[in-house]
Amino acid sequence: MRMALKQSKDLGTPQTVLIGKSVERVDSIDKVLGKPIYSMDILPENCLYLKVVRSTHAHALLRKVDVSQARQYPGVVLVISAADIPGINESTALLPDKPLFANEKVRFIGEPIAAVASHDQAIAEEAVDLVKIEYEDLSAVFSPIEALKPDAPRIHKAGNVAKHLKLRKGDVEEGFKQADYIVEGTYKTQFQEPVPLEPETGFVIPEPDGSVTCVGSMQSPFHVQTGIAKILSLRADQVRVIQAVTGGAFGPKSDEMPVDILGMAAIVALKTRRPTALAYTREESMIGHTKRHPFTIKLKAGVKKNGKLTAWEAELVADTGAYASLGPLVVTRALFHATGPYEIPHVKSDSYCVYTNNTMAGSFRGFGGPQSHFAAESHVEEIAKIIGIDPLEFRRINMLKPGSLTATSQVVDEGCGLEECLEKAVEASNWHTKRSEFAKQTGTIRKGIGIAIMYHGNSLGPEGSDYVAAHMNIDKDGTIKFRTALTEYGTGATSGLLQIAAETMNLPMSYFKLEPPDTDYCNDAGPTVASRTTAVGGRAAQMVAGKLHQHLKEIAAGLLGSSVDEIEISNELYYVRNRPQRALSYLEIVQSAYKNGLELKVHDTFTAPKCEYDPETSQGTTYLQYTYGAVTAEVEVDIETGKVQVDKIVAAYDVGKAINPLSVEGQIEGGTIQGLGYGIMEELTHKDGIVLNPNLADYYIPTSKDIPEIKSIIVEYPGQLGPYGAKVIGEPPIVLPAAAIVNAIDHAIGVRLTEIPATPDRVLLTLKKKRN
Amino acid sequence: MSKHLLKFTVNGRDHALIVESHERLLDVLRDRLGLKGTKEGCSTGDCGICAVIIDGKLVNSCLVLAIQARNKKVTTIEAIGTAQNPHPLQREFIKFNAAQCGFCIPAMILASKNLLDHNPSPTDEEIKDAIRGILCRCTGYQSIVKAVKAAAVEMRK
Repeated sequence: MRMALKQSKDLGTPQTVLIGKSVERVDSIDKVLGKPIYSMDILPENCLYLKVVRSTHAHALLRKVDVSQARQYPGVVLVISAADIPGINESTALLPDKPLFANEKVRFIGEPIAAVASHDQAIAEEAVDLVKIEYEDLSAVFSPIEALKPDAPRIHKAGNVAKHLKLRKGDVEEGFKQADYIVEGTYKTQFQEPVPLEPETGFVIPEPDGSVTCVGSMQSPFHVQTGIAKILSLRADQVRVIQAVTGGAFGPKSDEMPVDILGMAAIVALKTRRPTALAYTREESMIGHTKRHPFTIKLKAGVKKNGKLTAWEAELVADTGAYASLGPLVVTRALFHATGPYEIPHVKSDSYCVYTNNTMAGSFRGFGGPQSHFAAESHVEEIAKIIGIDPLEFRRINMLKPGSLTATSQVVDEGCGLEECLEKAVEASNWHTKRSEFAKQTGTIRKGIGIAIMYHGNSLGPEGSDYVAAHMNIDKDGTIKFRTALTEYGTGATSGLLQIAAETMNLPMSYFKLEPPDTDYCNDAGPTVASRTTAVGGRAAQMVAGKLHQHLKEIAAGLLGSSVDEIEISNELYYVRNRPQRALSYLEIVQSAYKNGLELKVHDTFTAPKCEYDPETSQGTTYLQYTYGAVTAEVEVDIETGKVQVDKIVAAYDVGKAINPLSVEGQIEGGTIQGLGYGIMEELTHKDGIVLNPNLADYYIPTSKDIPEIKSIIVEYPGQLGPYGAKVIGEPPIVLPAAAIVNAIDHAIGVRLTEIPATPDRVLLTLKKKRN
Repeated sequence: MSKHLLKFTVNGRDHALIVESHERLLDVLRDRLGLKGTKEGCSTGDCGICAVIIDGKLVNSCLVLAIQARNKKVTTIEAIGTAQNPHPLQREFIKFNAAQCGFCIPAMILASKNLLDHNPSPTDEEIKDAIRGILCRCTGYQSIVKAVKAAAVEMRK
């Protein structure tokens, strides 16, 4: 099943001026100057503030919601609950399972039930306690394994399984028959909290014509528009959504939270005719928005004495919490990557997205990849140990190479740099020396080095239609405005779009300006997720810049009396081939267009080919290209305290083509540290549905004192989808660190942690178990 | 609740305001003086994003009552550089791609400036110590450390 996906030849000329250069981002200057650019910096005058009333019960029928006392509290302008929603009581990411305000019942502690509006935040907060709620408790369930049992409390009418997906390749029983060894293991991962440093924020302005303007911190303006229109019972065009500069996102700001925030604010804004703002506190953010799904992954592998994998069976159970969010798609990506980057002839995998009465899990950088790779990359180490093969050699034997068939029976094309990533990481980490040196240690502090390798499907694939619209126009002064509804929330990928547009038009970056995403001025670009800005958005940038480029050349041809094909451009001068003496400057062409009433305005949409696969077996083309990577981690483990310190990480990724190497390194470094947090310290813990650490004092994320030396290595095997062969790199760097660290811990102290994070207590407990 | 006269200097300008006893310095800076460069990330003193410099010390402005700044000198990001003439720290933060989402960056730059004011040639560890109280979720800190080091070199020239 080879992909029929060719880029036209005029795209991606071999000699590029800007592509592959570390140019400065266009949005940095405002950020380093501390300009007022985020939602809460640009609030309208006389804003009302909202505070949310939340459920204190994990699973209960709502008998009564009495807002009368709160309504009468001095300074309170309005209290809203489910009964006040003009349209449909729904705020969701995928399945229609989540209300904006709980109606009939609540399903997790922290679920919104009502909201109080006041001109004074303190008054709104005080009045929250005056909303009286009567609950009738139902039995609750907090473990997805328990929730799968037939007699488990039913959280949603349709049952507790939001999604069950199967993957069937070959005949797994036959594969096990061929094996000399069968190796089984169970691996567990935790809730990881994304912690965007800016919590969820936004405000809504009621317009005189009954429409609303919504401004907020978000990833996907058109998803928000659809959601708000439903809640308000307005047409989509009556809901204008503008993305404010967004202070980090990492996934949840593409799900339902921006719809929650702006939906509640919009109801109040329409009823009071006053602008209304809602900003979650850190605690509300950590409880309210979606987190990385905890997974329990059971693996069973068949392998021959020579190290060849013959069969792989996986069962993945994910806790999606009270509402599905994008959980069904997370378990899909996790399922497709559950073998790790290995070629295995017979595979049988099942993934389950299960409701519980915990807080919600949904989108988070990596989207199921980190969980699957933690399990697979731990398991291959155990297999290698059992059959007595060096773990590097085992990976070399089984890993995907051009011509291999993935678990979904997709043929791996020539754009596969996995082997080079592995070898470069091995070399740069001084693997062999350290591996043998560290094996001879005694004493309290033991060093270890571990490795993990990965692949990551690019494009939305099974996650939806993959298209991006982009718009460009040229102002009279020559400023070229680029607009798309793809959002910037920190990666710098939108600056990359300008770089691609400038390269296409052969003009300097300084003419280009990025306009804010605004549903009134952009066509839908799909969600800003799955690291798709460069790979898919970049193609749209090429198309639209190509059109404008052609347009300018036509004008130049008219003025110079030649055919368009003869026009050449260098140093901002347009001239007829071999006749550079008579040249027109870029600005002369723009001015001429304006004088003659020619419009310098274009838009276009790039649509990626559809991914076709059998939904029953998951066999077929699931993604349009893959990013590959290898990570080594060097650790020190204190066997008395259990503390793990990461000293060095080498991270090699095949990114196809680095459009901006500095930005690529930024993604690698940032993702690596978020992945390090996932591996050794981050865990949002629940007890009976209560989040025990919803703050940054008790939920640890890496600080500047926790970071190891990071060596980033860029490998380039061009892919078939992205511009100039670029592959995605936003998400992949978070996938491997946990697995590489846990493998390094095993090397250091000879015990395998099958559960992350590798906190001191967990390391000590595992050591103790081994000693007994 | 009582009202107090707060006289203090912010970014070189003297201010006299009547403040409530419970008002936080963060809110006075943002809402009363319109200095929106100081951000709010947690309001519990854990993330460090609201950091400002008070009399040469880096302080979380969410944990300081406004009146505690009486007779003191407060420096916020607005006093550091301009678009036409950025501070060397700001130039190097841009050069090293040390500002991704940007939300922690005003605090990071103030922390770094405060360090360089006291220690013009810091080591990597000293830079990490100076910014340890400020969380960044995007960069992994490495580019920030490099930027501060480069700025220190620039400023010594």
